[in-house]
Amino acid sequence: MIRFWRQAPLPLLLLILGYGFWVSPDFKEIAAGVALFLFGMLSLEKGFKAFTGGTLEQVLRASTNRLWKSIAFGITSTTLMQSSTLVSLVTISFVSAEMITLAAGIGVIMGANLGTTTGAWLIAGLGLRVDIAGYAMPALVVGVILLLQRSKVLQGIGYLALGVGFLFLGIHYMKEGFEAFQGAFDLSGYVIPGILGVLLYTGIGMLITVIMQSSHATLLVIITALATGQISYDSALALAIGANLGSAITTAIGGMTANLGGKRLAIAHVLFNVMTATVAIVFIGQMAWAVDHLGALIGLADDEYLLKLALFHTLFNLLGVILLAPFTGVLERALIKYVNPAPKSREKPLYLYPGALETPATAISALRKEVGHLYDNAHDLIAHGVSLRRSVIDSDQSLADAVKNTRRIIPLDVDDVYEAKIKSLHSDIIAFISEIQGRELSQQSVEQLYDLQQASRDIVEAVKATKHLQKNLSRHGLSANPLIRERYDVIRLQIARVLREIRQLRTQDPETVTRLSLDAIKLSVQKSGRSFTADLNELIRGRRLSSSIATSMMNDENYAFEICSNLIEASHALLLPPTRAEQSAEGQLALNEQDIARMAGGNSNPRTRTHTDENEKTAG
Amino acid sequence: MKTKKLLARLAGFLSADQTAQREELKSIRKVLKKLKAKERDLTARLEQTPPGDEHEEIAQKLQVIYAQRRKGVERVRELKGRTQNPSPS
Repeated sequence: MIRFWRQAPLPLLLLILGYGFWVSPDFKEIAAGVALFLFGMLSLEKGFKAFTGGTLEQVLRASTNRLWKSIAFGITSTTLMQSSTLVSLVTISFVSAEMITLAAGIGVIMGANLGTTTGAWLIAGLGLRVDIAGYAMPALVVGVILLLQRSKVLQGIGYLALGVGFLFLGIHYMKEGFEAFQGAFDLSGYVIPGILGVLLYTGIGMLITVIMQSSHATLLVIITALATGQISYDSALALAIGANLGSAITTAIGGMTANLGGKRLAIAHVLFNVMTATVAIVFIGQMAWAVDHLGALIGLADDEYLLKLALFHTLFNLLGVILLAPFTGVLERALIKYVNPAPKSREKPLYLYPGALETPATAISALRKEVGHLYDNAHDLIAHGVSLRRSVIDSDQSLADAVKNTRRIIPLDVDDVYEAKIKSLHSDIIAFISEIQGRELSQQSVEQLYDLQQASRDIVEAVKATKHLQKNLSRHGLSANPLIRERYDVIRLQIARVLREIRQLRTQDPETVTRLSLDAIKLSVQKSGRSFTADLNELIRGRRLSSSIATSMMNDENYAFEICSNLIEASHALLLPPTRAEQSAEGQLALNEQDIARMAGGNSNPRTRTHTDENEKTAG
Repeated sequence: MKTKKLLARLAGFLSADQTAQREELKSIRKVLKKLKAKERDLTARLEQTPPGDEHEEIAQKLQVIYAQRRKGVERVRELKGRTQNPSPS
């Protein structure tokens, strides 16, 4: 919503409003009503956000595993929040973070469309009959008192009360404004009959909703205008259809900034609303007839147009749900098949977008995926850095044979690839983390953020070490001297094994994988390092290798150790178990550095990572 | 709700420390189960692998799993002792 206003030509808008205020005091009252109504919605949004960060996410996941549950969830949440836009945008962020499936997202959107119709009932049934401003005042007072409290929960409730208060006050001002407006200007004289009129009013309804970014506000305008006789009942029906279409556009604007999952859901929303609107426009006569009959059944008088409009709104949205719900699976498959990412280089973030910041859970989930993306880029670069194809690492082929049979060093400008595929992504990750840190987070979220930031840094360190290693590898890796070649083969094999082991762990079912498997990789790296050094010392003692090449090898083995250790540490953050209790259990069972050093066959002094830049000074 | 259930709930509420320990016990057992499954898988692979580098790698992985499971079993014993004989507070 805010983004739209930022992009809108603000001076022009202010000019039009200024002119309106100058010309008509009634317009001023109507505009103030809309402004208060929108402000009330913002407050409600803020209030509900105070309760996210755990509860909402858990409820969402449990409530969307079946289509009917998704629809029911959409109805309930929209009824409570009185904003289908908010529910749709939050759903987009959940689908984007792959926390719920696309089909579940479509279900929630359908439910939200139905849930939003409760607003029409509320406004038509209560808003214009009861002195709603009378209820607004206590809500505002209570809201402000709660807002001044320290407890976040009370503040959240305060925002909710303020939201309700401002919504009611907005309705009141709009009603007053339209009543006064009626005497001065009669819109009902401009009724256009036939399909042209329906299309025109649908367009107007859509436009008002896009401008106000709220179908609720549009419905309020429609209902108050209808109540004061400014527009005819038929025009109001068409305007309500337009309001529905407009709300899809609002979501589409939000969805366009999301990732692929979000875009697919936004498209589903537009398709759903366009289809529902088309059916409603084509069968508007039959629908009006059905409303009359149903209205009579539930005891509505013929001239109770407000409630009849609310009934129409509910009926055509319900019709849309009934028509589309059986095809949710088909729609999901079609969207996955036809809506594909534009080919783009891998260095662009795939999961970080502003919508993911909606809640801490979506933000951290998106961040974990992005660090995984960075890891994948680093995996490819490091594999090439040790002159092995990614396909070889990912296959079951013997790595020892692949290393032994290497005939050429793969040409690679590590600096170039680092700049393009690693550094830019790392910067985006760091920027995203600072964005999240600006929000309120639980202790657990803070720890997860720290781990992911550290993982991103570890990946970068591994790539930097690859750069140094690759320089010597291209010089000596395929040396004609078998003693040198064999030592470099050992280094390459160790790195390739770590890449393969981690890749296998990351592709396994998260239910069966445990981070404890990383201990075995650590032990293997430690053992390999010790045996390498012992071998090298023997060769130096026997004067079979010159000390200069031996020094280079020692440095390179150190780089290899850096690469492996950093990759292991990074994957530690990526292979996070589902619950905190399991994380702590794994922590208790994990071998510490001393255990690993002892098992590697030496004293219990662990070999620790050194910073790559420190090695740079001694690089051979 | 039956009285027994109510009493169990009340006891759980009053001994938050014990509840945490039970949770810990449950999580460790879950992880131990994963390790056991992995161990079985690796043992089967070890039997089919001829002596060589790969054989050695698998044996090493098994060695790590034994060490981790030992730690886990010790912790389980410790926690079981505590939940059965809670220390006076």
